[in-house]
Amino acid sequence: MSSTSPAISVQGLKKSYGEVEAVKGIDFEIQPGEVFGLLGPNGAGKTTTVEILEGLRPRTGGQVAVLGFDPDKQRQRLKDRIGVCLQATNLPEKIRVHEAMDVFASFYSRNVNLDQLLKRLQLEEKRNAFYGTLSGGQKQRLALALALVNDPQLIFLDEPTTGLDPQVRAEIHTLLEELKRERRTILLTTHYIEEAERLCDRVAIVDEGRIIALDTPSRLQQQSRNASSIVVTCATQFPDPRPAWAEATESILDSNGHTLTVRSRRPAATLVDLVKWIDQQGLELTDVRLKQPSLEDVFIEMTGKSLRQ
Amino acid sequence: MKSYKALIAIDLKLALRNRSVIFFNYLFPLIFFFIFGQAMHAERGAAITMVIAMVLIIGILGNGLMGAGIRAVHEREANILRRYKVTPITPAPLLVASVVTGWILYMPNVILILALAHFLYGMPWPQSMGSILVFISVAIAGFRAIGLILASVVNSMQESQLIVQLIYLPMLFLSGATFPLSMFPPWLLLITQFVPASYMVTGIQGMLLRQEGIGANLEPMLALVLTTFVGLFIAYKLFRWEKEEKIRASAKLWLLAVLAPFLLLGAWQMHTRSGIAKTKVLNRQLARGDTYLIRGARIFVGNGTVIENGTVLVRGGKIAEVYEGAGPDPKSVKAEVVEAEGKTILPGLIDVHVHLGAPGGFYPDMSKYDPEKSMLRELAAYLYSGVTTVRSVGDGLDSVLKVRSTVNGGEVLGAELFTCGPLFTAPGGHGTEYFTDLPANIRANVEKQFTRLPASAERARQQVDELKKQGVDCIKAILEAGAGGRVFNRLDTGLFNAVAQAAHADDLPLAVHTGDARDVADAVQAQANSIEHGSFREAIPAAVFDQMAKQGTFYDPTLSVGEAFKDFAAGKTGLLKRSLVQQVGPPELLQGTEDALASKDTESMRAALSRYPIDMRVAVDNLKRAHQHGVSLVTGSDAGNFLVIHGPTVQHELQLWVQAGIPAAVALQAATFNAARLLRAEKRIGSIQPGNDADLLVVDGNPLDDITATERISLVVFKGERVDRTALFDQH
Repeated sequence: MSSTSPAISVQGLKKSYGEVEAVKGIDFEIQPGEVFGLLGPNGAGKTTTVEILEGLRPRTGGQVAVLGFDPDKQRQRLKDRIGVCLQATNLPEKIRVHEAMDVFASFYSRNVNLDQLLKRLQLEEKRNAFYGTLSGGQKQRLALALALVNDPQLIFLDEPTTGLDPQVRAEIHTLLEELKRERRTILLTTHYIEEAERLCDRVAIVDEGRIIALDTPSRLQQQSRNASSIVVTCATQFPDPRPAWAEATESILDSNGHTLTVRSRRPAATLVDLVKWIDQQGLELTDVRLKQPSLEDVFIEMTGKSLRQ
Repeated sequence: MKSYKALIAIDLKLALRNRSVIFFNYLFPLIFFFIFGQAMHAERGAAITMVIAMVLIIGILGNGLMGAGIRAVHEREANILRRYKVTPITPAPLLVASVVTGWILYMPNVILILALAHFLYGMPWPQSMGSILVFISVAIAGFRAIGLILASVVNSMQESQLIVQLIYLPMLFLSGATFPLSMFPPWLLLITQFVPASYMVTGIQGMLLRQEGIGANLEPMLALVLTTFVGLFIAYKLFRWEKEEKIRASAKLWLLAVLAPFLLLGAWQMHTRSGIAKTKVLNRQLARGDTYLIRGARIFVGNGTVIENGTVLVRGGKIAEVYEGAGPDPKSVKAEVVEAEGKTILPGLIDVHVHLGAPGGFYPDMSKYDPEKSMLRELAAYLYSGVTTVRSVGDGLDSVLKVRSTVNGGEVLGAELFTCGPLFTAPGGHGTEYFTDLPANIRANVEKQFTRLPASAERARQQVDELKKQGVDCIKAILEAGAGGRVFNRLDTGLFNAVAQAAHADDLPLAVHTGDARDVADAVQAQANSIEHGSFREAIPAAVFDQMAKQGTFYDPTLSVGEAFKDFAAGKTGLLKRSLVQQVGPPELLQGTEDALASKDTESMRAALSRYPIDMRVAVDNLKRAHQHGVSLVTGSDAGNFLVIHGPTVQHELQLWVQAGIPAAVALQAATFNAARLLRAEKRIGSIQPGNDADLLVVDGNPLDDITATERISLVVFKGERVDRTALFDQH
């Protein structure tokens, strides 16, 4: 594989289970060093897609290359080169941390220094602990460590922080950012928008077996039909009727008449016009906020579904 | 290979950290070891082998079905396999590691159990240790594989528990692992032949008890190896990494594929019955392995000495020790006690002259008479009567050899059998008259089985050599010209001498049927080993007796058949009414014989026989003179002839001798030690001495004072087994 060829290339990927089409033709490419997020509600086809890429499931149609391997035909060689961190996996209760590392290392043709890896994942003090005695965060760090024993250049992370408390999630995020800095390619599926916003270079939104949007998180936000909104609060009630401010698309007054939300295609221009009007009206301005649309807003807008359904 | 090693290492560690693994692999079998050991009196001998086989099988079943099967399902259900799924390994290292781990975990337990048996219960170290370990290894692998395929066809933990129980329980209860196979009725024994664990029980027992090697257990070994490979292959093919992957119900049929080798083996065994025969032999050997003291009895040793108050220690089928007085503390020799005050212990009696192929009378429907079955029953009748050894001197070769191997091998309980096979006689000689009425084609066949009619000395020698090769114990020749209307062609003396020489050269005792003094003289001249009948019509010259005494030719007067012959001719059936005869004789035979004698159908036969000269006074006189001349006497009855019913034959012969004036001690020695010498088995049977087979007859009273005491049987011991006399006839 040359340095310019994509780490993952997917064209027209289809997967059917009997009559049911789970994946209905998906195309995307992931470049080396890129962190790519797959977002979608449950049953959208993202797990199926990832499992096909990991060599766990045969595809029904389309072209797939992962690190230059066809996951259907070169399953063992592909698995030897990638790291995978699945959700809801377990290890035997009575296995020690370092033993689990040793066993998993034995499965691969290439190994990193396991002690250093444990240190890096802050598990060195737990190296002799039984798996069953680990906390949720420690278990997840161990899962990450196991995904890294073969020094993979491509890592699949399936919901890596689901169910963890915010502090642990932040720890994991720091780790993932480190991996990102090491220019490892990461394919991440997640329910957490902020996770995608924070970590991903690009995000694909999957729904009903198709990719309905694919771009950087910021551009996806800009593509939102509902532009940003300006929220202004005054000490007194806003008068009625109100004018059409520059570039504004819509204005909504809340029930007590003190807070006005104005949607705008170009919030900067609208804001200047709006503040000027408030000043002319002699209203006492108490608060001004600019609200950017979140990835979640984009998601809901595009799929009509919440991510955590 | 790296992954195989790592998985085996971690599987072992995890197993050792798991209390239930330790419990089921070590503690559980040990608990059973001590419970069974106590319950089955393992300290008394052979029962320890049964205990070991049972305990090891329980362990192997648990190791395979629970250790491999349930564990594999658990790993899938707990999402542990799911984690392995994304690594480059195939199911192969997981499956192989499971089998290897099971083996490594279990083998120390095997050694431990064998060591405990050795040190606690005094079991000698098995001679075929290598075979035992290999066999157990193959069994562990086979059951691990069954466990693994089971795991691969169930969809949940619950289902796996259910299926494990469905396999585990029948294997436990139908294999002899918990209930000894000796308790099983025949139809259930058939079913055991389809249960893999049965072969493991009999295999391990056979190796411990009979020093069998792998060769004797090749069929189950192959079946287990096949099970291992088929099981691992199917488990690989059906392997599932995630609980969400369900398998269709029909896949459970793959379980049958793994059990197929044993279904085939079972079907094959239904055909050959060799597995069942082996089971019976093992059961026999277990029963023979007990340890006990028969205490406080008079002991008629057999070789001329009598211990007025003594004790016999029986162990491992042998007479271990003979003591004056009460003997040792039973606990010190780990023995049960059989109190025998007021009783006399004799060596098992020996009848050196019987024909098992003849029933001794008439069945109402002779077409239903099955000689082979009948022979087995007759041998049971002897054993019932305390006659622990008989010699057949003229029977169909194939069937008598078959019966000998069945009974002497222990598959069916009956008196130990020695046999000469067919008789050497002349065409138209004595022994051929029974077949003259048969159709020509059948007759040729029957004559081949029952007689040898050599036409030349060369042929005579050949025929003796052939019989030797076929495994006969002795050679029987007829020298008899007949008398009183029953005239026979007498075997040419030259041919007879050739037979005698060949028998001597082949080291086979030569038994010669004689009719008159000349016959006896010729037989003695040819150095016959025993003179059968002597003569019922002529006095045997003193010089002949002297020669017999000098060269050690035994004299077997068979007074019983002479008396019976006369009774029959006279239509008297008193002999059938003896108590023991009534007990052992098939009722339809006894009744059929009574009826036949009462009917006119046998009148002409009786009239013809009555012309045959039988003079009991001559016979008795010959016997007494033989004794006076120092000839060694032996007891034979010629049972199978009319009115001499197989069973308590020796007792009646002894009574006739004592009535004739032979001292009881002499008669009893003839029936025991002398007879054993004639059979060339005196180092093993015929006397109560340490190292001999424990063939004993315990009777009430003192037969030296009253010879009829030999009929008041208290206990029969055969090869160490205290014979359940009432059950003897149930086995046919």
